[in-house]
Amino acid sequence: MTIEAPTILALRKDPRLLKIPPYLSALCIVIGIVWLFLLPLNEYSRHTYISENALLPGQVHTYFGGSEQNVFNAYKHEVQSLLGKDPEVIAAQLSNILRSVGLKAATQKYHYEAAGNVHSGENAYAVLHAPRGDATEAIVLVAAWTNMDGEPNQSGVALALTLARYFKRWSLWSKDIIVLITSDSKAGPQAWVDAYHDEHSPDSADPLQLKSGALQGVVVVDNALDHRFESLHIVYDGINGQLPNLDLFNSAVAIASGQMGIGVSLQRMWKHGDSYRERLQTMLRGMVSQGLGHASGPHSSFIPYHVDAITLQAVGHGWQDEMAMGRCVESTFRSLNNLLEHFHQSFFFYLLMQANRFVSIGTYLPSAMLVAVNFTIMAIALWIQSGRPPKRRAGSATVDMKESEVEVVRKEGMVALVPTADLAIVERQLFLPVALVVAFHFLGAVPLYVFNNTQQEALAQTLVFFAYANIVLPTLLAIIISGFTTLSSHRLILLQCFSLLLLGMFLATLATLNFSLAFLIGLLAAPLSFVGIAMSADNGDAPPELGTLRKIVSNVLLHLLSPPVVVLAVCKIFGADTGATLAEAAFGWKVSGLRTQVVVCCVWWPAWLIGAVIVSPGL
Amino acid sequence: MAIDRRKLLLYAAAAALRFLLFLAFPRLPDLLTGRAEISTPVTSFKRLQEGLFLYTHNVSPYDGGVFYQAPLLLPLFALVPPFIFPLATAVLYIFTDLVCAESLIQIAESGVARTSRLFSSPRKDNHWDSLAVGAAFLFNPFTIATCLARPTSVFSNGAILYAIANAVDRKPAKSMLALALAAYLSLYPALLLPPLILLCHDQIVAKDGSKPKLPRSSFELSSIFCGSVAWFLAMSYLLTGQSWEFLRSTYGVHLLLPDLTPNVGLWWYFFIEMFDSFREFFLGVFWLHLMGYVGGLCFRLRTQPLFVLTTIIGILAIFQPYPSIADASLYFALLPLYNHVFSLMRYTFFAMATILYAALLGPAFYYLWIYAGSGNANFFYAITLVWSLGLSIIVGECLFAVLRDEWEVERPEMKGKEVRRI
Repeated sequence: MTIEAPTILALRKDPRLLKIPPYLSALCIVIGIVWLFLLPLNEYSRHTYISENALLPGQVHTYFGGSEQNVFNAYKHEVQSLLGKDPEVIAAQLSNILRSVGLKAATQKYHYEAAGNVHSGENAYAVLHAPRGDATEAIVLVAAWTNMDGEPNQSGVALALTLARYFKRWSLWSKDIIVLITSDSKAGPQAWVDAYHDEHSPDSADPLQLKSGALQGVVVVDNALDHRFESLHIVYDGINGQLPNLDLFNSAVAIASGQMGIGVSLQRMWKHGDSYRERLQTMLRGMVSQGLGHASGPHSSFIPYHVDAITLQAVGHGWQDEMAMGRCVESTFRSLNNLLEHFHQSFFFYLLMQANRFVSIGTYLPSAMLVAVNFTIMAIALWIQSGRPPKRRAGSATVDMKESEVEVVRKEGMVALVPTADLAIVERQLFLPVALVVAFHFLGAVPLYVFNNTQQEALAQTLVFFAYANIVLPTLLAIIISGFTTLSSHRLILLQCFSLLLLGMFLATLATLNFSLAFLIGLLAAPLSFVGIAMSADNGDAPPELGTLRKIVSNVLLHLLSPPVVVLAVCKIFGADTGATLAEAAFGWKVSGLRTQVVVCCVWWPAWLIGAVIVSPGL
Repeated sequence: MAIDRRKLLLYAAAAALRFLLFLAFPRLPDLLTGRAEISTPVTSFKRLQEGLFLYTHNVSPYDGGVFYQAPLLLPLFALVPPFIFPLATAVLYIFTDLVCAESLIQIAESGVARTSRLFSSPRKDNHWDSLAVGAAFLFNPFTIATCLARPTSVFSNGAILYAIANAVDRKPAKSMLALALAAYLSLYPALLLPPLILLCHDQIVAKDGSKPKLPRSSFELSSIFCGSVAWFLAMSYLLTGQSWEFLRSTYGVHLLLPDLTPNVGLWWYFFIEMFDSFREFFLGVFWLHLMGYVGGLCFRLRTQPLFVLTTIIGILAIFQPYPSIADASLYFALLPLYNHVFSLMRYTFFAMATILYAALLGPAFYYLWIYAGSGNANFFYAITLVWSLGLSIIVGECLFAVLRDEWEVERPEMKGKEVRRI
């Protein structure tokens, strides 16, 4: 130790040390990506298993079938006769049906406005009081009148009504059962679950007249098909990338495929041969969906309230009928009925790559953390660089006499000579960089406000305008700032240092909340670590110099990866309408509490803007 | 007059920012009030309101087992009930913040941090403008968040800073009175008494030619302190219907830690996990540990009592039973006074980055634990450990820097040489 210490201390002053961080942070990014691509392998992913033993999925005999088929046909007839009617009429008729079964029924009106679009309708719901319970817990069966694709969910609604009638006859329920038929798949469930927890705003949703206990689990049935189906598609993403407990998903899979023999698919992977490629594709689709954080089905609205929920969607042409789907729901409800306490075992953070294969947070989190850490490494490197005295220009006119200069220290008759070089400490000019970083991050509120408060017709043009504005904005800002004060390379290094530090910190925090979003933003922002004057010579107070080629490459790369350009490109690749996508985001912001925009506008965009200012031609 | 105008501008800006936040985001103060990082059981504004409600309805405020704060706060807030005059309460807190800033500026202007009676730093020329010290306090996000959340620790912070400012200003009686108020409000400032006495003594000796002896002046000053505390307690006794019950619910809670609501400190988790039979023993150990620093620091850093105060405040922000970011903000308020030794600190950036990381991850993990239900208590405790680690690195680093500064006066030939801390 005593021998090593001076060597380490001597290394601290070595200029070569500063050359390492860029490679180190590039290595972090590469390892992060490779890590992610290793996850689908058998060695890194795990078989799913039921962790909560009380669930006992698929252990009960299901009786839904036989004459219930006739009841179902009758209800389906009723539902079809209501197609195209006003939501009020539909809700009134549905609550009549639920009342005739012997349940307490009520309706709830809601009215939301976002991006100039109106989302209104009326939910009908009924409560079946548990014969063996004390009304402190409830499970919910949801069917939306129109499903996520906008098709009328005729078989699904009829099935929910039939199940309500069927459940009423059993005396074994220990939790209340709530049957909820919402007008649409996004606003309706949100209005209902908000009002259930008294979190609704009185202007947009009515309060609920009927309530039951704490919600323990939610199953959504979605069957818009008018024919027999092939397999069940399980949708599980919640708002802001929150996921339901894996036990609920596992129970549904175990019941559907194990007990009923119905195939299960997820993330719209209709054919899944369990190859590496398909696993990876499923996982990446799941990550994109989680990263966007939007509502992927009626179940999404429940998850932020810590209510675990999934959607069962019937897909394809096959030989499974609605009764089989009903039996799945029955068996799942019997399992939920067994729960002794709220879902808490199993996992809340996971990536699924097949219906019975997953990776848990401990295995996948390092990849996002490595991407986030790369920014912190560069921030530390820049900080160290900013504290070094500026190099003197080689071949400059002033002859370097200072190398041999020493300071004479006298005290009490003793004299000591100390080289001044050792004493030189650069006073860091912190104020301007910190103020700029803070100001840029607050500037993010402007696009955030604009995109959440523009009419849908204008949203696409606004985005294109914003994309063009981003081309000139960095140069403009650089000129404005240089007008007030000099942006010396010392200050620019500190500016980039704080910006990267903050970005790394935000992403590391985000990775614990929404892994996928943190990973995707981290990758898109990765070039920010490598632009600027980090690795070039520090000229002290002189204006920064950057190789022309380096500057051009940095600029092109940054402008190709600016947030609006990325949004436009993603919409183009997936064939989505930009205006509609942004309108959905605005809807999510206003109604479902979607917060992806904050990350884009107040974390990614400011960091990008600072990176672009640093390399802009305005300096 | 020019300087006064600048100071006025600074105060106006700070007050305006706070008013803006109070008025433009009416839900923000209540949101922050509920945060475990800011409101501890012994300082929470919510609990204060609860106690106030009981008090104004002629019920003993300590009956509910919710209110643990000093009784004298009740008549003060009964004058401006927060639920009737929320703005008046805001004004009270903003005013207290400005008093803190004024005291800080006074301390900074005196230059005691650089040149005290017994020690003069070789780096004394390199220092911040006193207004910058005030601004660093007023615009610190931790201070602003604390002001918005309105915990009563704001008042004890104000009293501590006021006490130091008066000590520096050679008004020992006022200083002792202010410290007595701080100790009365939240007990732990009583640990600041020895270094504050040293500071008062040094300041008086530096001014007067007459040299009062240290034992004599410390006896005088501690009698003033004890007298003031006794007076405050007597007032409280009269106020709570002539009963000493309040002692158990205020200082008893500090000493015996019955309320284990999570906070940023290290005690709550430890005492949740502990077997009951060891509880008394470890309470003793924890308190002894906390008190142990005072004597050692006073002896070692006898020449710089203000720095002893700063360091003890930093240590208290880490190790006291119910710490919050309000205590950390008090430490961060005093740190800029030692700007001249910052260049001797080695891990400032890492420590600050750790603290910022913890400040971001703390609320995220708390959310995962309490609201999303997908995390658990270990998440939050882990991050409070990181927070405490960051703070203790800063305290340790600052101590190292000051000692090194002192050492270079004794051994000028060692200037700029590498040293190792062992």
